[in-house]
Amino acid sequence: MTSDFEADDVARQELTARLSLIETMIAEGRQKTESWGWTFVLWGVAYVAAIVFGNLGAPIAEWTTFGHRALAWPVSMIAAMMLMFVYPALASRNKPSSPDTAIGRAIYSMWIAMGISMFLLLLASGNSGRLDQQLFVAIVASMLATTNAASSMILKWRQQGLCAIVWWATAVAACFCNVTQCTLVFLAAIFLCQIVFGAYGMISERKTMARKPGAVHA
Amino acid sequence: MPEPETETTSELPDLNPVIHGKLRLALLSLLSTVEEAEFTWLRAKTSATDGNLGAQLQKLEEAGYVAVEKKFVLRKPQTLYRMTQSGRQALADYVQALKQLLGSAINS
Repeated sequence: MTSDFEADDVARQELTARLSLIETMIAEGRQKTESWGWTFVLWGVAYVAAIVFGNLGAPIAEWTTFGHRALAWPVSMIAAMMLMFVYPALASRNKPSSPDTAIGRAIYSMWIAMGISMFLLLLASGNSGRLDQQLFVAIVASMLATTNAASSMILKWRQQGLCAIVWWATAVAACFCNVTQCTLVFLAAIFLCQIVFGAYGMISERKTMARKPGAVHA
Repeated sequence: MPEPETETTSELPDLNPVIHGKLRLALLSLLSTVEEAEFTWLRAKTSATDGNLGAQLQKLEEAGYVAVEKKFVLRKPQTLYRMTQSGRQALADYVQALKQLLGSAINS
């Protein structure tokens, strides 16, 4: 009788262990080993660089004016884009590449589509002379808000949702502020939602990657 | 009405033996979350040896649960594994059976 109970207990433990193994491996599979926090920092630095280079020798209020400083934004954005592709290629040498997941593809599809829309719209409206600084900030902030919000909902990442709220607030504020206020609000949003959030993301990713999966034997 | 007997794992006909192996179960669970995965990624996730991993993947391939694609990327050989539809179904059935067995074990 006792041995029957013991056998049942062993069987139950084995079944529970199997179920736990499935859950652990599904969580492992979903865990991306790629790092994305640095991209927020990179783009934050690129935005700040574009603002600074666009203002060399000019009042801060004129950083979106098309003229000889017009290349500041396209050049900074293209440089950031190139770094986005070069750095991961160098960093992932001799490492197994992380496979695509449906969630991962959904996230980066959104960001790529947003980047293309923003680049084309700002380039066209800037060239046509229909873009002023407030409108520029409103467009950039609202596009970043939308993408951050969608990403936070997919990933169930509350902190990214807060970034979306900050970007939405920036977009609305840009419509009511004067040029100097608009610049300051934009810089504050970049600092919070790109540089601080990116650094936070990098720390979180490092913690997650430090957790190694246990060995599984046949 | 007779009470249902509590089964031990050796008497569990409902659990698919191909999937029941720990490493094969881990591999199918991992592959269920991704579209396709490299051999090296699966090795890193399971900490299995090359030989053991290759053997277990071959069993899954023979059962039709996993599809293999071999190709060269930048002149380096790359082996990609993808879960088939029947593999997905088999894993779902296995989980279902596991839950039923656990449920009956708790109720007994």
